[in-house]
Amino acid sequence: MITIEGHYFDGRQPIGVPARMDFEDRETMLTAGPVSDRCATRQLKVSPRIGSADRFITFPNGAQFSCADHSFLNSLPQESPSEGPVAWLEERWGMALACVAIIVCTLLAGYFFGLPFAAERIANRIPMETEQSLGRQALTWLDENGWFMPTHLDVDRQKPIMDGFDRLRSDLPLRGYYHLEFRSGAKTFGPNALALPGGIIVITEEMVRAAETTEEVLAVLAHEAGHVELRHTMRSVLQNSVVAVAAAAVTSDAASLSVAIAGLPALLAQRKYSRKFETAADDYAFRLLKQKGCSPAAFASIMERLAKKDESEMGPFAYVSTHPVTTERVRRARSAAAE
Amino acid sequence: MSEPESIEEYIQSLRPLPVGHLEWMAAHVDKERFPERYKAIMDVISEKKLQAYTLGELLDASHNIDREKYPERAQRLDDEIARRLGPQMPEQPPELALEFRGKAREYFRIWIVNLCLTLLTLGIFSAWSKVRKKRYLYSHTTLGGTPFQYLGKPIPILKGRVIAAIGFLIYYASSHFLISLLPYIFAAGLIVAPWVLVRSAAFNARYSAFRNMTFHFDGGYLDVLKAFWAWGIILAAVIVMMFILPEKRAFIGIPLAVFGLSYPWWIRRLKKFIIERTSFGGKRGTFSATSGQFFKIYFISGLIVIAVAIPSGILMATLLTPTKKSLLLTYLAAAPIYIGYVVAFAYVQSRSGNLVWNHTHLGPLRFCSTLRCRDLLKLYMTNALGIIASLGLLIPWAVMRTVKYRADNMRVLQEGELSEFQGSDRNGVTAVGAEAIDFFDVDLSL
Repeated sequence: MITIEGHYFDGRQPIGVPARMDFEDRETMLTAGPVSDRCATRQLKVSPRIGSADRFITFPNGAQFSCADHSFLNSLPQESPSEGPVAWLEERWGMALACVAIIVCTLLAGYFFGLPFAAERIANRIPMETEQSLGRQALTWLDENGWFMPTHLDVDRQKPIMDGFDRLRSDLPLRGYYHLEFRSGAKTFGPNALALPGGIIVITEEMVRAAETTEEVLAVLAHEAGHVELRHTMRSVLQNSVVAVAAAAVTSDAASLSVAIAGLPALLAQRKYSRKFETAADDYAFRLLKQKGCSPAAFASIMERLAKKDESEMGPFAYVSTHPVTTERVRRARSAAAE
Repeated sequence: MSEPESIEEYIQSLRPLPVGHLEWMAAHVDKERFPERYKAIMDVISEKKLQAYTLGELLDASHNIDREKYPERAQRLDDEIARRLGPQMPEQPPELALEFRGKAREYFRIWIVNLCLTLLTLGIFSAWSKVRKKRYLYSHTTLGGTPFQYLGKPIPILKGRVIAAIGFLIYYASSHFLISLLPYIFAAGLIVAPWVLVRSAAFNARYSAFRNMTFHFDGGYLDVLKAFWAWGIILAAVIVMMFILPEKRAFIGIPLAVFGLSYPWWIRRLKKFIIERTSFGGKRGTFSATSGQFFKIYFISGLIVIAVAIPSGILMATLLTPTKKSLLLTYLAAAPIYIGYVVAFAYVQSRSGNLVWNHTHLGPLRFCSTLRCRDLLKLYMTNALGIIASLGLLIPWAVMRTVKYRADNMRVLQEGELSEFQGSDRNGVTAVGAEAIDFFDVDLSL
């Protein structure tokens, strides 16, 4: 027979009565002050083990007995049996260390291999038609809300670019979906080019004016075509959202302490992805340009010219701010041209 | 008026007089000839002023007063507190001890095991892990020696998480692709918000128990509408201005300004709504803080942001000459604003926490919260440094010390019998509302 001392709470008043429980073979006797009661041991329910906290034993009539944790209580019927194994894991330092190792490996493997791989597979299965309708909506929204203005470029200036771009895309797998749009980047975008979902490529007249030759404009367009062919819009949305959710899950407890650091790891992780996409689009563009008889050196020269421009002329969403011009990129363009 | 024989009798004769009259006397008595009388009048005035304060305010003041600088005032405060606590409950203890017994090492193991299982199950286990973590925090918080109990079940929490996740996906997808749908989604959010509010409050209350009795929340959707309809109209106006009339951008400022200025009043309404709809053992909470008190807190926090941001902004501007513009310096320029924000946040957290708890009654219980801005600030800073330096491994340590600080600065005073609380029938509430709050990280805790 086992005896456990504790307190009895009848559920009618928040006042504890010092009490004792005597566990016999199949029956249990409760003695709480003047009250004493018997019930079958299998009808009791014990609250889950957690840390070093007191446990509660619930009687069939809803009354409770609280007592310090005791290993005997684990042999009684449990209120939440599924938590037992979890509690077992939580009590061991070895398990905690193993968990640290598993978490680190899972996050690294997922970040570098699993997620990019899965995002690519999923993005390739999304039909271009779906993407196209999203892209059209996005462009309409940008136009209506003053992010873009109608272009002042005359047709003579647009024509060679259109023709050159038609030549660039003529052999690409997604050639049927491309749509080139000219806009004025106004104050926000400045000299810029961007690939919207579904093969819509917008180039601003500021970008066209910044270029000295049509070849330079085509080099920028080839880079954007790389984003389209490699389905980068969809992939980055998929990857970034998973990263954001994972970061929120890992740091959720810190966020509730109102330390504004929860967003930081996600931001850093997403920047690394976006740089990878830029490099991949560059490589794609260099190959495409050479295949069409253009030199990737044009890409290097326009990038250098944009980098030299004063920031105040370009606006907050200028091309160089979303496509950082690094000496590395320029060097790779030149070496691709030299090959 | 006959000449009083002793100064004690003189004081006795002053006590029935109103404060205004006493102040008039203090201004007119001849201090040179009757220094004792002047002192007696001033003593009675301060005694009367002390009596006008609530016990919570007195305890707050006695905690914060500089005892070396003002020993007399501190003594008077202590006397008044002793006078109020003393005669009312000579037999039973006037206070239920609140204690947090969580240990960082123990919580670390719980946190890491649950995080690992959550990652390996792609988030499904998060419902179980929430139960485990809440259970730990509740059952290591003891009031009068008995731990609180968390009774939430994983499956309803999981259902709630799935619904919240779908809502979040719709928002996320539309903010990226279908921007034209965004105003409708915000409008739908506005319609759903009251439901989320009452559901999560009801879930948290229903599954929180103390000494085998659960809390209860009885606010409904319509009650929220009644209390907050004007707020809804302001927010709807902001949405309309932002999306439907984008060319009239200047007008967004008007509803936004109205919203900002009325924010303290709304916060008070929200606290009052939650507290007065929550009950334990048949006793509802009562809330007596005024809008003015909330307004003062937010007004000062605004001044703090300005006071920190402007001088350091000017300093940065002088350092940032156009020639040596670099990315690092741009980030540094944002730092003063961030620091100002953190200081203001700690200020609001400590002051509004104290305000809310010190003006809350629950049956025979009163609360006395003595959070301090500088302590919270130190806590937030050290937490952030520790978490960054340990790459997140010190998150459980940060949680433990924050909860402990809050528990250490909270006292539960008992002004009557605990038997005033009477248990009642129980009814279930689904977990959906509670989860939606969790996922979108809207902090509704007091």
